[in-house]
Amino acid sequence: MPPLVRVEHLEKRFGEVLALDGVDFDVESGEWIAIMGPSGSGKTTLINILGGLDHPTGGRVEVDGADISNLAEGDLTRYRSEKIGFVFQQFHLVPYLTAVENVMLAQYFHSITDEKEAAEALQRVGLGDRLDHVPAQLSGGEQQRVAIARALINHPKLILADEPTGNLDEANESVVLDLFRQLHAAGHTILIVTHSQPIGNLADRRVELEHGRLARISAPSLTKK
Amino acid sequence: MPTRSMFLRILWKLFGASRGRLTLALVALASGAAVCSALLNVDLDAGRKLTQEFRTLGANVVIAPLPAGGDAALADAGVMDRIAALRIPQIFAAAPYLYVAANSGTQPVILAGTWFDPAEKINSWWKVEGNWVSRGGESSDGLTQCLVGSAAARQLGLAQGSRVELRSGDHSISLIVAGIVTTGGSEDNQIFTRLDLAQDLAGLPGKVSLVQLSVSGTASEIEGVTSHLAAALPGLDVRPVRQIAAAEGTILGRIRGLIFWTIALILSLSMLGVLASMAALAMERSKDVGLMKALGGSVPRIMRLFLAEAGALGVVGGTIGFVIGVVLARWIGGRVFGVAISPRLEVFPVTVALTVAVALAGALPLRLLGRVRPAEILRGE
Repeated sequence: MPPLVRVEHLEKRFGEVLALDGVDFDVESGEWIAIMGPSGSGKTTLINILGGLDHPTGGRVEVDGADISNLAEGDLTRYRSEKIGFVFQQFHLVPYLTAVENVMLAQYFHSITDEKEAAEALQRVGLGDRLDHVPAQLSGGEQQRVAIARALINHPKLILADEPTGNLDEANESVVLDLFRQLHAAGHTILIVTHSQPIGNLADRRVELEHGRLARISAPSLTKK
Repeated sequence: MPTRSMFLRILWKLFGASRGRLTLALVALASGAAVCSALLNVDLDAGRKLTQEFRTLGANVVIAPLPAGGDAALADAGVMDRIAALRIPQIFAAAPYLYVAANSGTQPVILAGTWFDPAEKINSWWKVEGNWVSRGGESSDGLTQCLVGSAAARQLGLAQGSRVELRSGDHSISLIVAGIVTTGGSEDNQIFTRLDLAQDLAGLPGKVSLVQLSVSGTASEIEGVTSHLAAALPGLDVRPVRQIAAAEGTILGRIRGLIFWTIALILSLSMLGVLASMAALAMERSKDVGLMKALGGSVPRIMRLFLAEAGALGVVGGTIGFVIGVVLARWIGGRVFGVAISPRLEVFPVTVALTVAVALAGALPLRLLGRVRPAEILRGE
């Protein structure tokens, strides 16, 4: 069975700066991968390219059997709505929509909206009593759980999380990490960008970047190419 | 839930979230629409009333026989039926005239035979001392009435109620003076009576010297009517009375030009007001748009939301503006033109359409949001 994600000689250049320099790795379906490295090592650039938010300047990225490296803008938009679930460090909820509407927004751009399904997704992350609250009425942890429910609502192939606990206190971090554990146990494929070693240790494998290059992949199951 | 409902739900929330800036844009749109609606109402209604008022200033088109052999031939009175059969709506009134050289005693005088009803409509500005000739042209004691020009009245020593005997060749008629007319023109030297009597006196039954018409409209509309009549009445010379037609047309044209350019200016200012609000809104919404794009929202789908928002603002602003404009038009009508302006319903769709167009043009900055790169926005750049 081919890997869900295949990254080959990936390169991303911003002017003179080489943010990613020949990165190669695979991700199997159902794996939890932690992408680690110091600031400026290219973690966010990598996750943006995997999520179809940016184009690589070299190399190839294949997700679910499709090469996304050179997709046109319209195809990338469809790719994001159908294959990817994003969780951001800053939560990025629409401030004037309620929790359930924020989840429905992802449904709206994917296909059709189903408020009952959106409410159930929020109940699964423990926010059944917060459906009609706007982000300003929710704590940071609750907002991140709304973002996780939104990321899951369209049954994406890949969940991409960029420092999802970076803005949370310890208690909320624990709640959010528990959710990721449950998602992993349910068979979701997760790529999580983190600085935190303890969070990195929760993953099946750790992809470590330094100066845009793949420094090491620190798990025995790794298939380094 | 159907996707359309979610579209409306997001749209509603967008209004709520940005009500401050959108209210400013709405005020700009409604103000522009109010002035636009008021001026359009004024243009349509006061324009119509002004052309009616112009029609009291006298004939502006004359139909006469073409000169033949140096003598003016006479037209057949059937020309009046042919003009009526054309059913030209701009013709306000048409009066035939037959001029007859007659004598009152030894004094020569011009007798003008006409139809008094249309002649009065065309020449309502004439100053008449006494009365206009009554319907039927006869006084209560059965005498045939006439109007006498003020100069002729002085020359012949006539006053209201005087009797005058006119002779032409072997024929003569006896008339009673209903009123003395002063125009300041050649009419002051003439005596006016029924057309058929003048024809009998001259021995020219069914003949007229010319037809005076009062035609409403702009200079080009009057030219159009003139051409139409000329084509339909071969052998007759149809010509506008240049000074009157041109002056009326010029005044109307200038009023319309003033109204058009004022509307254009006001709508441009409204658009600038909307542009300012929308530019600020675009800055505020760039993060939301970046997020929507990251979630798989296509540019056309996201832009539809913002354009629908601008369009809805235009509809609401246009409707409010139309209502305010009707009130404003009544005020302008009373103050400036001295006539009550009646609201015209056809102004409503025009006002709303113009306001929607202005709102969409003013929403141009929101369209730039289509260029937002989600990766940069979500990184906080």
